[in-house]
Amino acid sequence: MAAPVVITEASEPHADYSRAARRSRVLWLGKGVAAYAVLTVFAAITLVPFLYLLSPSFRQSYELLTFPPQWIPHSLYTGNFHHVLHQTSYPRWALNTLIFAGAITAITLVLDTLAGYAFARLRFPGRTALFGLVIATLMIPTAAVVAPLYIMISRLPGWTHSGVNTYPGMILPMVCSPLGVFMMRQFMSTLPEALVEAARLDGAGEWQIFRKIVLPLMKPPIVVLGIFTFMFQWVNFLWPLVITTTDNMKTLTVGIASLQGQFVTDWGVISAAAVMTIFPVIAVFLIFQRWFVQASMAGALKQ
Amino acid sequence: MAEILIKHLVKTFGKVEAVKDVSLQVADSEFLVLLGPSGCGKSTILRVVAGLEDADSGEIVVGGRLVNFIDPVKRNVAMVFQNYALYPHMTVHKNIAFPLEMAKKTKAEIDSAVRRAAGILGLDELLHRLPEQLSGGQRQRVALARAIVREPQAFLMDEPLSNLDAQLRIQTRLELIQLHARLGITTMYVTHDQVEAMTMGHRIAVMRDGVLQQIGTPQDVYRRPANVFVATFLGAPPMNLIDGALEAVAGGGWRFHGRDVDVALSSGVLSPPELQHEIEAHADVKLGLRPEHIRIAAPGEDGGIPGRVQFLEPVGSDLYLTVEAGGGTVQVRTDPDSPLQTGENVSLLFDAARVHVFGADGHNLRRDAPRVEAPAELVEAAS
Amino acid sequence: MSAETAERAWDELTLSPAEYRRAGARYRQQRNLRAYLFVVPYFVPFLAFLVVPLFWSVWLSFNQGGLLDSAKFVGLQNWRVIGADTELTTSIKNTAIYAVEAIFLVFTLALLLALLLNRYRKGSNFFKLALYVPLLAPAVLVGLIWQFVTNYDFGLINVVLVHLGLGRVNIFGNGTTALLAIVGAEVWRGLGFWTLYFLASLQSIPEELLDAARVDGARGFQRFRRVTVPLLKPMLLFAIVIAIIANFQVFDTVYVLTQGGPYESTSTLVWFIWKRLFQFQQTGQGYAAAVLLLAIILGLTAVSFWLLGSRRRRRPREA
Repeated sequence: MAAPVVITEASEPHADYSRAARRSRVLWLGKGVAAYAVLTVFAAITLVPFLYLLSPSFRQSYELLTFPPQWIPHSLYTGNFHHVLHQTSYPRWALNTLIFAGAITAITLVLDTLAGYAFARLRFPGRTALFGLVIATLMIPTAAVVAPLYIMISRLPGWTHSGVNTYPGMILPMVCSPLGVFMMRQFMSTLPEALVEAARLDGAGEWQIFRKIVLPLMKPPIVVLGIFTFMFQWVNFLWPLVITTTDNMKTLTVGIASLQGQFVTDWGVISAAAVMTIFPVIAVFLIFQRWFVQASMAGALKQ
Repeated sequence: MAEILIKHLVKTFGKVEAVKDVSLQVADSEFLVLLGPSGCGKSTILRVVAGLEDADSGEIVVGGRLVNFIDPVKRNVAMVFQNYALYPHMTVHKNIAFPLEMAKKTKAEIDSAVRRAAGILGLDELLHRLPEQLSGGQRQRVALARAIVREPQAFLMDEPLSNLDAQLRIQTRLELIQLHARLGITTMYVTHDQVEAMTMGHRIAVMRDGVLQQIGTPQDVYRRPANVFVATFLGAPPMNLIDGALEAVAGGGWRFHGRDVDVALSSGVLSPPELQHEIEAHADVKLGLRPEHIRIAAPGEDGGIPGRVQFLEPVGSDLYLTVEAGGGTVQVRTDPDSPLQTGENVSLLFDAARVHVFGADGHNLRRDAPRVEAPAELVEAAS
Repeated sequence: MSAETAERAWDELTLSPAEYRRAGARYRQQRNLRAYLFVVPYFVPFLAFLVVPLFWSVWLSFNQGGLLDSAKFVGLQNWRVIGADTELTTSIKNTAIYAVEAIFLVFTLALLLALLLNRYRKGSNFFKLALYVPLLAPAVLVGLIWQFVTNYDFGLINVVLVHLGLGRVNIFGNGTTALLAIVGAEVWRGLGFWTLYFLASLQSIPEELLDAARVDGARGFQRFRRVTVPLLKPMLLFAIVIAIIANFQVFDTVYVLTQGGPYESTSTLVWFIWKRLFQFQQTGQGYAAAVLLLAIILGLTAVSFWLLGSRRRRRPREA
């Protein structure tokens, strides 16, 4: 029958087949190499500027302007760091930023989890309307409200002095991020309804349900929101710029920007300040990677 | 006295009327089963009694107290959910202890109560495990333990067995019956499984589309169904229905005429005024016969309904025949050793005392069938 | 049957309809009160620092002064002034150009990287982390870092150019290149975020669809065009609107790199607002510009919700 014929016919194209297989394998390898090359290039583009920062921070400023600029300094000059720590208010700025971002994060977490739970699992009149209000203001830019906020803080009726350059003045207006409430509500909606109902029948008051049942089960989203909020306030610039005018109340972002003089800039000092600000954060990031990536996923999940 | 009274309960969700004017009475220590297909409102009733939903109108009385406007916990009822609703981040011990903690009992009281409840349900070994480490049956027992530890006035159970596999279900059913016998707490039990209803309940309340169809003991509901729905819902395989019309016969009898069917009916069993009404209206009635009340006529016996065997379904203990007869199909239960084959012609005989006749609006014309004030639905179905 | 004695029937109601309603209302009130206690803590600052300022902003746009002294009502004067003001229109134009350039660039690169990362999973963790790092730096610092790249004297670009024998380039001497410098800084900073975003979007496409396409004979690029792109389109569209909203508020890098120069060629809308309000004290214009920004952002937000809604309507099984 046909079977023997088929077998002998197949043995001839075998050579072509293996050639084609080899070709496609090479192509596949080639594509792989190209891909990783591209990725490496971009990783380099992303990382190199940070490394580029390191060099000026260890050199005296006048050296920078020599040509050709030497990238590897002959000696590690620590004067810049010294200058930043002792002759600018950097330590104070760092403290301010920690307090600023930290307090806002703490307060935001409390407010957002409470409100998020209410929107997710409690029934009350006006719930949809209020939540709609929250969503509508989700993307209000700070710049649009910065003027009224400044007026409010600087001239609160009943206060004897201005709230400008004070911690409460800085912190309170930033506490009401709608994104947090939105996120908390979404995550709390995934809690099984029966769990809350069982707790109600077991005698738990709403507050107890919240504390003992809901919060313990919401730990991951809460951490993510916390990191997200902290990072967001850590890099906040416009608001601290407007609300702090004295040097000892500025946050890191505002403070470091102020190191850039009108006419003369000490680049060594600035790069030292930048290095001191960024590298610890990078270190923290590497340690707690997973949470950070999840935090930005949260931004993506917003939709 | 933990009696539960549901008076004219109405509950609507948006446009859907989930419960339409249902009134029920559950006696102290009674095990009442709410039975019906999904969407009939049985779970809604349970949730309203528990306090998880508000009644639109109607009163709920538990243990002599009106509870409509009282928080769930203060009603002193315990609920077992279909998915057990165990707190996933707490051990079994903490799960069971939770209601007592909420009630601010002392540590000693809590400990002894938890141990007692765990003992009753055989959970002593599992107290330190987390719910995710337990099997379905074990989780169910934890849910029960959590319910009984509060010594509530009543239990509300929402299809607790539906997430278990068949064998476990049978075993747990027995355990629940034993538990109830031991503790004697008033129980309302919701299910769509009629076997559970028949084996577990003191009384069964059959619901459909938010309307209570009939309430009675399992025997009542099985032997004297109030209408077609109850008749076909209980019993597997379901009761056979044959379409036809009624005719009065000289001498004071009645006959039922269907396709190939012409049988005499006994007035001792059926209700004359109603039959008269149906006859005058030339109404279409249905003859109802349960598979176990039909038998194959032996060769030589006559007077039966002629039919032809379509399928054979041997289930080991019995043989169910699907027979083409009376214009439709009829299921007959018969001896598993029967020699009958597909395609054979048979003659069906039945026990005249067990016959049901259902009027055009669906309700049962037997003398001993309960009179349910024709709920609006049934009457509408007639027109 | 039940004995109809002089006693009431068991199912007779005890409360009159009025009593029932009143008791029900009281019960629900108690419950609602408890619920409100949960939302009030959030809504107090929300109303005080977000909602009220929104309306106040609009009111302010019809005033002048108010930051250091009391405000003076001037009607539509502010609006007329900025209507004729070329600097504002320049700012808006700059912002728009910047947004288009930045989004185009960052999305193209991010998509490319996301596709690569999606396909070549080994070692992708390292690349993801590397791309993410710039997000950790405040935009201000990014601007400063970018100084080291773009500076006339010692910036990386010029160093390389000089090395190659080409002359130096004054990046900030020319409006177009200055704006590109800002674009570069922000693209560099945002690449990580958008790459991860697109990666997540790509991974949300069910593998089976691509497999089915492969079985149907579609080759790599065809699969991309016919399966991936259509499924990606809604997410892409949404991302574009979000990106526009975010990029319209660019400020920090402008402050640090160009201060709006040279000659306002890199002045963006927020920069304009800030300058008018807190530098030149021409507060009236600042107020009006702020409201303009608000209007633009709200409009874009509405568009994004509409897109979200139509997406949900088209694919009801999601969300």
